[in-house]
Amino acid sequence: MPLHKYPPRIWDALKMKQGIYTRLPQHYLRSLQETQPPTPVHWKPLGVKYRLNPKTGARERVQDVPIPIYYPPESQRGLWGGEGWISGYRYANNDKLSTRLKKCWKPQLFVRELYSEILDHKFKITVTARTLDLIDAAYGFDFYILKTPKQDLNSKLGMDLKRAMLLRLARRDKELYPDDPVRREQVYSKYKQQFEIPEEEAEWVGLSLEEAMEKQRLLEHKEPTPQFLTCVDDLVHELAVQKLSEPQIVEKE
Amino acid sequence: MWCRSRLALEGLVREFSKVTVSPIQNFSQTACKNTVIVERWWQVPLSKEGRPPRLYARRHWVYRFVEDTKHLPQGKMELILTQTVPKLGGRGDTVFVRKSIGRNKLLPEGLAVYPSPENKAMFEEERRKLHEGKVEERIQTRTGELTVQFLKSCKLEVGKMNVDYVLTKEMVCRQFRKKLGVVVPPHALTLPETPITGLGEYWCEVTVNGVDTARVPMSVVPFESPRERRYRNWLKCQGQADAQTPGPEEMSKDDPVTPTTDNRRTDDTKSSES
Repeated sequence: MPLHKYPPRIWDALKMKQGIYTRLPQHYLRSLQETQPPTPVHWKPLGVKYRLNPKTGARERVQDVPIPIYYPPESQRGLWGGEGWISGYRYANNDKLSTRLKKCWKPQLFVRELYSEILDHKFKITVTARTLDLIDAAYGFDFYILKTPKQDLNSKLGMDLKRAMLLRLARRDKELYPDDPVRREQVYSKYKQQFEIPEEEAEWVGLSLEEAMEKQRLLEHKEPTPQFLTCVDDLVHELAVQKLSEPQIVEKE
Repeated sequence: MWCRSRLALEGLVREFSKVTVSPIQNFSQTACKNTVIVERWWQVPLSKEGRPPRLYARRHWVYRFVEDTKHLPQGKMELILTQTVPKLGGRGDTVFVRKSIGRNKLLPEGLAVYPSPENKAMFEEERRKLHEGKVEERIQTRTGELTVQFLKSCKLEVGKMNVDYVLTKEMVCRQFRKKLGVVVPPHALTLPETPITGLGEYWCEVTVNGVDTARVPMSVVPFESPRERRYRNWLKCQGQADAQTPGPEEMSKDDPVTPTTDNRRTDDTKSSES
């Protein structure tokens, strides 16, 4: 087993302390660090620390152990509402003494056209029934996307939509409903007070680390100036200095 | 062969609709489930406080299927209508509809909106305006329109006793309720200015929701007790039966036609205050 200077599990954390990563905006770095556990979807949490044992009646400490869920790459391209694949085992005939069988529970997916008011566009998105219920509970697709935190949305598409919406709200441009200023104002005022954030922050919402790094690189990137230009500048400067340093001869009449 | 054709078809479908469904999912042996809820067969040992639990044993990946939300009873969805929808209601009504109807029809077509607090406040304000605002600004409700339509096709008969008295609004309202099944409050009713004392043909006007007025012809006829009316009807039937054919078989076939009182009721025939 190779020995490293630092154990591999902290490499990611170490990487963030050097190079371009340190120059990323603070709000973006903070959003990376603030990670909450997602809402339990496929299991029922106990929600208590202690409880009475149903058999003995004695008080005992209990613990919520989340069930690991696999989120396939397709889930990033749709809105699954926090659902994923539960891959594990089950017992045949629901009998603990029977054979252990491999089992993968997968969500049922639908394709639905969802209309976004802020973007004024219809999107064809792969959703689950849970997503539709959540959209109804949030009173609309835009509210669902904007209200739901990253860990519950759990989708790249959702975060991209969120960024687009936040940018629209921050810019307040006239692209939205170009012929209907009343409707535009209505939409902006509806979402303004809850979700408006500055444009500089909205640009970074939901970017993956690679994307953020690329963005920062492009921001910092400067075209290298050709050497002959600097040389010409230097020469001109030198000559000017030389010219000025020469005594000026003023002829007297 | 069936499998192959299905495979080709699915490939085509996937090509046409560029959607992000997992290709593996279509061939899985497991049945499609909705949000599945599972639990562990074996309990995970308690970890120290603040430490993540250790899932080291292979038995901790054995799950038991608890329930599938797909098979729970499908609830209904609350919506506020923005337009008149047949069989549901008019603008501003809160309705409970099946989720499929709400999501696929009412919301995309703009017939309804979500009952968010802002929308609720907006429609509440609108309703308040309808009742308290000026007469010009008011809008007739759908049921009100139906009521006006019904009243326009009606004819009212008021029975009058052989005693001298003036017909009052209350009496006409009672007749409206008895004969037509329409609840008309006295303030929504307008009788001719000259007091009605004798028999004859008159008009009365009913204002629905203080917006639309329907004119209903009203004929004042001598009062007839139910027994007399029944007797007269019986006589009429007898006469008809005698005139047509005196045969006993046909008698039974030709039922006595008793003019029943029109007990038809519109959806909401109550005329509210003017």
